[in-house]
Amino acid sequence: MKPLSLYIHVPFCRSKCAYCDFASFPGREGEWGQYFEALWGEMEGWKDGLSGCEIATVFFGGGTPTLVDAGYIEQTLARARRIWPFAPNAEITLEGNPGTLTLKKLAAYRRAGVNRLSMGAQSFDDGLLKSLGRIHTAAQIGEAVRMARDAGFSNINLDLMYALPGQTMAQWRDALEAALALGVPHVSAYSLIVEEGTPMAARVASGEAVVPDDDAVNAQQQLALNLLGEAGLARYEISNYARPGFESRHNLVYWNRGDYLGLGCAAHSLVDGVRFSNPATLEDYLSGTRRLDAQRLTAADAMEETLMLSTRTTRGLDMAAWAAAFGTPFERGREAALCRLEQGGFIAISDGFLRLTPRGMQVQDAVVLELMEADE
Amino acid sequence: MSYDQSRIRNFCIIAHIDHGKSTLADRILERTGVMKQRDMTDQVLDSMELERERGITIKSKAVRMPYVAKDGKEYILNLIDTPGHVDFTYEVSRALAACEGAILVVDASQGIEAQTLANVYMALEHDLEILPVINKIDLPSAQPEVVKQEIEDEIGLDCEGCPLVSAKQGIGIDDVLEDIVKNVPAPADDADAPLQALIFDSYYDNYRGAISSVRLKAGSVKVGDRIRMMAGNREFEVTEVGAYLPLGYSPKDSLNAGEVGYIAASIKDIADIRVGDTITLADNPAAEPLPGYKPVLPMVYCGIYPADGADYESLRDALEKLRLNDAALSYEPETSVALGYGFRCGFLGLLHMEIIQERLEREFDLDLVTTAPSVVYKVVRTDGETVYIDNPTNLPPVQEIDWMEEPMVDAQVITPQDYVGAIMELCQDKRGTFKDMKYIEGGRVLLKYDMPLNEVIYDFFDQLKSRTRGYASFDYELKGYARSDLVKLDMLLNGEQCDALSIIVHKDRAYPRGRSIAEKLKDAIPRQLFEIPIQAAIGGKVIARETVKALRKDVLAKCYGGDISRKKKLLEKQKEGKKRMRQVGSVAVPSEAFMAVLKMD
Repeated sequence: MKPLSLYIHVPFCRSKCAYCDFASFPGREGEWGQYFEALWGEMEGWKDGLSGCEIATVFFGGGTPTLVDAGYIEQTLARARRIWPFAPNAEITLEGNPGTLTLKKLAAYRRAGVNRLSMGAQSFDDGLLKSLGRIHTAAQIGEAVRMARDAGFSNINLDLMYALPGQTMAQWRDALEAALALGVPHVSAYSLIVEEGTPMAARVASGEAVVPDDDAVNAQQQLALNLLGEAGLARYEISNYARPGFESRHNLVYWNRGDYLGLGCAAHSLVDGVRFSNPATLEDYLSGTRRLDAQRLTAADAMEETLMLSTRTTRGLDMAAWAAAFGTPFERGREAALCRLEQGGFIAISDGFLRLTPRGMQVQDAVVLELMEADE
Repeated sequence: MSYDQSRIRNFCIIAHIDHGKSTLADRILERTGVMKQRDMTDQVLDSMELERERGITIKSKAVRMPYVAKDGKEYILNLIDTPGHVDFTYEVSRALAACEGAILVVDASQGIEAQTLANVYMALEHDLEILPVINKIDLPSAQPEVVKQEIEDEIGLDCEGCPLVSAKQGIGIDDVLEDIVKNVPAPADDADAPLQALIFDSYYDNYRGAISSVRLKAGSVKVGDRIRMMAGNREFEVTEVGAYLPLGYSPKDSLNAGEVGYIAASIKDIADIRVGDTITLADNPAAEPLPGYKPVLPMVYCGIYPADGADYESLRDALEKLRLNDAALSYEPETSVALGYGFRCGFLGLLHMEIIQERLEREFDLDLVTTAPSVVYKVVRTDGETVYIDNPTNLPPVQEIDWMEEPMVDAQVITPQDYVGAIMELCQDKRGTFKDMKYIEGGRVLLKYDMPLNEVIYDFFDQLKSRTRGYASFDYELKGYARSDLVKLDMLLNGEQCDALSIIVHKDRAYPRGRSIAEKLKDAIPRQLFEIPIQAAIGGKVIARETVKALRKDVLAKCYGGDISRKKKLLEKQKEGKKRMRQVGSVAVPSEAFMAVLKMD
């Protein structure tokens, strides 16, 4: 049976964070029920089209999936199981905010089959947390992790952010060490992206907030690589670190271009070589609009995607698989660029894989651009 | 109306930029009824989009307006529009030669500006009757009496009873028309003498071929006549003559002495019509041409390349089309290692160059890369041969050069007294040699300098503007060549010479110019994976260096929820950007960088 991953978007949160430009809407509790009804309806609609599949991973993302009543999560999984068989070891992740967790909720998730928790910690400095608009404190993060353990979760991720305005190297070190002290097997360390239209962008534009320069950001990233690595959490993707066996299988599906179906508002999908997405506003989604921008990928698209996604991972680009899939060796027409990049210390090629070095990962976009076009 | 010279008035309008020339012209067209109000777009005579936007007039045009004056008689008013910029002085002079009178529009709050003064003097040289008109009297800051006094003091024109108007509000337009009828002399040309028609403009019409805009100074011309271009020495048969309407043609049986109009004669090549030339009849030629034909020579050259090499053919077609309407534009194919296939183009001056570039980009939707403008250098080689070089890349090796000469200009600056010091300093900086200083009316000073043209085309205008807050006006005329200590300054990117960035410069300026260009390039070239050394060199000697540091960080942190569309878009954008860059060795150079050599801070 064909493995399929499900992404379920929960577009609700208690309040919008200063940097957030995701489809997430504070308040609107009155619409939760209506939303999940619509989402379940969308899921039902795939019953025939995706009948031969087996669910390999499920990811509840947001927004704040832990904000809504646990019953919605339970029901969503129950309904999915009625449509598709689940692989025995299916990874089922729920994203959550430490400020919204209770032992009772956690127990309910556990009962529903959730076996991985991904928590947005972001920082362990209360001042920074406040400036980001987070609704929780540093203490609540530790509390949430302990509760999760009590509820039976061992596969726990903490999201951390660096490149924050005003964030010192010491604060960043504290965050990494605090996360490690909690003993979680997975950490995602994201460099802040200042998104247009967010309060953060306005602060940066006005000069109220100053983002650190590239060298400072690289130093923070290097610190994460070192500290997490020493603690046994190896980097397996540009922003992701895990103890062996605790890598997020769901996220690896994105980078390996496996099939995934996104359900709900603003969710993105790749199914049978077609990319599509749902509308980004709640109104459009609730009014029944689905599957926008459907694009059947050409071989050239697939090549581009493979290059830009696989080089995010430490596994790298599988050159034998490339040749098999596209009928042409990856190196052809790229000899000069590969040579230059290898000499420059941006890439390493060994046992049939092209991998970006840690330096190469700092400039992944530029490296990909160099390799994008093969000469005739 | 039958032909009667005493009922013809040929006039033009002189005004400082922004003083309302085009608006007044519009009101006159409206008032005489040749343009109905609903047909009016602002500034009808400035039909090119670019002209309207920049508020300047590029090519001269003419329009014929019947007008019944208060004396009950019908008159023919011919308004001849004149370009207002120094690059087009030659065309101004030709347009003035076609008139008997000029309306001098002066802003009621600004008073006379230096640039206007230069045009007034030119009009006086052509013996034109000048009719002052005070415009913008509706503005709260208007001081018509003060401005009238200023005109009387500075130019010595009688302003008693001169029209006070607001072209914008349509106030006083009748007074202007009556003033024209009363005070612009009727032409007094000999209708029976052999034909002498002065060409004051030419352009290309898809149906009629190349067309001459003419003022008949003697004789007459009709359809079927065989005409001869006296300087061009070519003959054609007239297919159509007529007068101009604001938006079209009004064919007539004949054109007679004193009249303004057009002559079409199935002329395929615009180059056969030279502005300033005299048209006469082949079988009854005038003894002499009218004074004034000067061949137009390009003074400034630059390389124009398509940003996307695939657009080379489109660029050639576009240049060909522009050339039809602009005999002063010249172009020849050239190739550059850095920029590929393109054209070496010649222009009358910097504004002309900018206008052509903009028209290519706008009217033909082309993305261009242009190189630094260059003048034509004279190189005397050690073997005695003299060559003219308009592209620094073609300069012979140093050991083959005996000496070099550069074009010089007579430069004239008219400025309020306060800025004399600043201008003298600027002219000195630009290797100018002081010739003369004269006090003229109204506390103004006329400064004369000999100056190398290559300094004028660099950033002289910008500097003059900023140092005199726009109050000084500047004019120049080519004067010949002078020996000069010139060197070729090359730019190296990552050790590789980039031909499109080479310039010829005076030895004493080479070091600061090299430094400035290196700094500009450093800012214009985006960081790349590898560090890029930028060097300025003369011969093999490096005189300045800068470094574009390697890219430190360029990665998207996250593809949220499997949404890779943003990352794809970003890459698409970067790919697009990369396509617009030029590869110089291993360095990707954006188009803008080639303009970096143009401007100082």
